[in-house]
Formats: sequence, C-alpha cells, structure tokens
Amino acid sequence: MLCIQTSNLTKKYGSSLAVDKIDLEIKSGQVFGFLGPNGAGKSTVIKLLTTLMSPTEGHLTVLGIDAAKSPLEIRKKIGVVLQQPSYEMSLSVENALDKYGMMWDVDKKTRKKRTEELLTSFGLQDIRKKKNDDLSIGQRRRVQVAREFMHDMELLFLDEPTVGLDPSARRELLDFLKKQVQKTGMTIFYTTHVLSEAEYLCDNIAIINKGKILAVDSPNELKNRFGHEKTIKINLTKTSSSLSDLLSDIPDCKVELEPEPIITINSSNSEVVLMNILKILNQNNITINDLSAIPTNLEEIFLKVVSDSNEPDN
Amino acid sequence: MNPIIRLVYRNLTISINPGFIIWQILFPLIYIFVAGFAYTSLIENVPFGNKDLSYPAFLASGMIGFNIMNSTLISGIIIWNDRRNGMFEQIMSGPYTRSDYILSNIVTIGIIGLVSAALIAAVGYPVFFESVEFSIITIPLLIFASVVGAILFGSIASIISTRLRSSEGFNVIINTVFLFFAFASTAFYPAQGAPQPLAIAFYINPLSYLVDIVRAGIFGQMTDFVIMEMIFLIVLASALFVIATKLLTKLDF
Ligand SMILES: Nc1ncnc2c1ncn2[C@@H]1O[C@H](COP(=O)(O)OP(=O)(O)OP(=O)(O)O)[C@@H](O)[C@H]1O
Ligand SMILES: [Mg+2]
Repeated sequence: MLCIQTSNLTKKYGSSLAVDKIDLEIKSGQVFGFLGPNGAGKSTVIKLLTTLMSPTEGHLTVLGIDAAKSPLEIRKKIGVVLQQPSYEMSLSVENALDKYGMMWDVDKKTRKKRTEELLTSFGLQDIRKKKNDDLSIGQRRRVQVAREFMHDMELLFLDEPTVGLDPSARRELLDFLKKQVQKTGMTIFYTTHVLSEAEYLCDNIAIINKGKILAVDSPNELKNRFGHEKTIKINLTKTSSSLSDLLSDIPDCKVELEPEPIITINSSNSEVVLMNILKILNQNNITINDLSAIPTNLEEIFLKVVSDSNEPDN
Repeated sequence: MNPIIRLVYRNLTISINPGFIIWQILFPLIYIFVAGFAYTSLIENVPFGNKDLSYPAFLASGMIGFNIMNSTLISGIIIWNDRRNGMFEQIMSGPYTRSDYILSNIVTIGIIGLVSAALIAAVGYPVFFESVEFSIITIPLLIFASVVGAILFGSIASIISTRLRSSEGFNVIINTVFLFFAFASTAFYPAQGAPQPLAIAFYINPLSYLVDIVRAGIFGQMTDFVIMEMIFLIVLASALFVIATKLLTKLDF
C-alpha cells in the first residue's frame, strides 16, 4: 500500500522556492530516509506532509487521505518529531510523557504502562522526576522522541531525531525504531545528516537538494548506481623514491610516501589500473604488504550526487 | 474525550502553580482588605444605582471584574509559551484544529476567571454583605461577566501574543495594556470626583463596563444603562474574537 504520494508538490516562501515540484511514492512498512544538505527543503516537506502548511501548488495524499480535504484525519494517524525542540516547561519527564498521552486520548492504564516502557527504552528512568529546564540538550531530545511513542500511529515523521544524542543513545534509538517497524508495520519518514545512520536504518533513501529530488532507491542500489568509482589501496613494504616517476603515466592513481608508502586507485576502471600498477611493481621488484578495496559508502555517494546537482548546468 | 476538554485539562495542568495562585487569588484578597479599609477614610460612600456602597464593598466587587480580566493573561501566556517552546506546532500537527486550540484557551480562562471570581466573592462577602441584594439575575450576570470578559480580554491577550516576537516585549506590553485597563476603570475608584479626562477614560474602558455588570449582579441594580453595557461588551468581544482567531489562523510555522 502507498503511504505517501505527492505530485508536483511545491512550496514557496514569498518568492523563494523551498520545495520544487516533488513527485514521491512511499510504500508502507518501511523506514524511508530523506537526505539533503542544509536548506535543501527536508523540514519543509515534512511540514507539508504533516499538514502543518499547505503547498503552494501540487497535491498530496497521506495514508490514502487527501491532505487538502481532510488534514485532521491525517493528523490523527501520524506522529511527528519536528526538528526544533518542543516541551512543556513545568512538567517532569514522566508527567510530560503522561500528559502527552492524555492529549492523544490514550486511556490512563495504557499511559501508565507505556510511560514505564518508554522511560526504560530511552534511558530516562534516572531523570524521570526532573523538569525539562533541568535536563541536558540530549536528554530533552530523548524525551521529545520518546513521548511520540505514547500514542499509536501508522506513520511517524522524525526530523533529525538523533541530533545531540551520544553514540550509544543513537544506536539504541535506531534499534528501537527498527523494532517498532517490525512489530507494528508502521512507516517512518526519517531525516538525518549522519549517513551511516541512514545506511543502517533505512530501507529506501531519497536525496534532495534545492527542493528537488535527485535520487530515490535502496542504499545498495544507490551505491550500484552512483558508486562506479572503486577505491583500491596498495600498501608497500618499503619506500622507493622513484615510485612516483614509475607510475607517472598511469591515470587515476595517487602515490604517498609518508608516513608509509601507499598507492591509492580511484577510478571507474579500478581493476585495469590495478593490473597495470602490479605489472610495474613486479618489474621493479617492489613488494606489496597489503591490498584492499574500500567499499563505497553512502557518504561519498551523497557528496557526489549533491555536488553534481550544484554544477551550473543543472 | 472531546479534544477541547483534553486541551483545557492540559492548559490547567501546565499553568496552575503556586506563583499563579498567589497572583490570582491572594493578591486581590489582600488588596481588598488592606486598601479597602485604608482608603475608607479618604473615600466616602459611593453611590451606585439607588444605593450607597461602602468603599470596601465597592472595591471588592470591582476586584471581581478586575480578576476576570487578569485571569485572561493566562491565555496570552499559554499561547506565547506554546509558540516559544514549540508546543504550538506540536499540537497543530496532532489531532487538533486551530479552533480547538482557540476555544480551549477561552474555556480555560473562563474557568479560571469564574473560579477566582467565586472565591473572591465568597471571601469578600463579609465586606459587602450589608449591600448585597441577591436575585435571580445575580448568578447569570456574574457568569455573563466571566464568559464575555474571558472572550474579550482573552482575545486582546491572544492578539498581543501572536503579534510579538521577543519575550521581553510580550511581558512589557501585555502588562502595560492590562495595567492601563485596571487603573483607568471604575474597578478601584469611582468615576465621581475623578478629574474630567480620567472620568472619560473610565467610560471608554471595557473593564468599567464589566465591573458595572458585576456590581449590578451583586447589588441588584439592573438598569437600562447596564443592558446597553452588556450589548456593547458582546459586540466588542465578538469583534476582537474574530480578529484574534484570524491572526492565530494565519500564524505560520
Ligand atoms: N519560515 C520560513 N520563511 C522563509 N524561508 C524559509 C522558512 N523556512 C525555511 N525557509 C527556506 O526554505 C528552504 C528550505 O528550508 P528547510 O528548513 O526545509 O531545509 P532543511 O532541508 O530542513 O535544512 P536543515 O538540514 O538545515 O534542517 C531554505 O532555503 C530556507 O531558508
Ligand atoms: Mg530541517
């Protein structure tokens, strides 16, 4: 089933274009990653999809409901953790969770049970009596994310939820999210700047820049599509000062002598380049200590896709 | 549970704290007793309708009107904090509409206004019991004053809180406006004997009308003038409510 569908979705702030004719189709039951540089339009898309704002142009359907016709019906079925902090100043952590559940009309017994579960899952037991003002930034963020799980939902929007979280809290959150998707079949729309996070968590990823979607696919497919250039590193046992001269005719390779002699190949034809280098090394009796191929990661693909889209002819 | 009731419950939980109760209940009571008796020697009996009210009785009944206005500050503070703390966006992306939000604020201040008016009436009773004249219109008039006052002043507080960006500005402006309403009204002093310009200010001030209606209820002095004041307040409150709603609806994220 399609969870989110947009066509020609456009949002202008005054005369500046924040979202530019986006067509998206997102299937239910997955974590969908939304990546893009600062100001790309990620948060604006979330505000449109959660009906906080109306689009300047275009059409969107969320959970099969037309956003222009019944925004409230959509909002009843989704959860949102926005990018900016949001909290009740005067409430303690446990009270904040409970009151948030009350605002979603969750009955008292369920609220009590969920509050306990979430305090544990989000590592908030020790600070349950503290007021928001007395929490650290990361703790506040954890409360903000935790409280969204007080209510049931079919679709959850998370706008950079891990900002300010320490590495273990980060990993715990990602695992918690994975488990929720498995358990409930919910869909998560997830934005982040940490690409390893997206790679770990997301089933599919869209890359957006300047309000336009540049690519949508699974992390592996994106790597296949954009990761033509393979990187291979050759560590040598000892330095040979003539090494640079010997390899000067071979394209796409780089020689470093310090701190240890390394040849790096970065080419869409890495295998061929490697063969040529090996031949020269062999002819000159230079021995190899170690040879490794570095898998392309999402970060490189992201940088490439975004920088390609920033070229003037785009 | 109905969405508006849920929001009202939330508003009451987040805004009722010891500081607020002191401001809302204790301060007016102390004022009634201390100022009421201290100024009795300066201000003789105050004529109201066909009655002569002692100054403490006059002040205590005025304090009820003042308190109805003052409790609407809470609505401005709630809207202001919700915007600053990100809760406005959070609520608006949840199972609520903007009108749920606005109505819940009005109901919240209506409840706070009514409860504090009732408390002040009960505790202040000894100072005006001589002139009290309960009738079938007493309670309806007090409720009318609480509800219309909540909408009128609540809309003003809400307009101010949606128009401003800095928190210092918010506190200064809202307190100045309300202080002006309070002291240029007949809540604390009678218009008779006041200098001409002040007396005029008293009668272009909606709080004076509100206070008149409260007094009419407590002292049983219903006149045509009071009816006109009621109509005026209804018209003004409706107009301000429409403006406040429009501004809140236009508020962008
Ligand atoms: N309220 C606003 N008024 C005017 N322009 C805005 C407003 N909000 C966002 N913009 C502009 O719209 C564009 C998209 O902003 P948006 O917040 O969606 O970016 P983002 O992808 O979420 O960035 P970040 O990674 O920094 O959170 C930016 O150019 C921004 O300057
Ligand atoms: Mg953003």
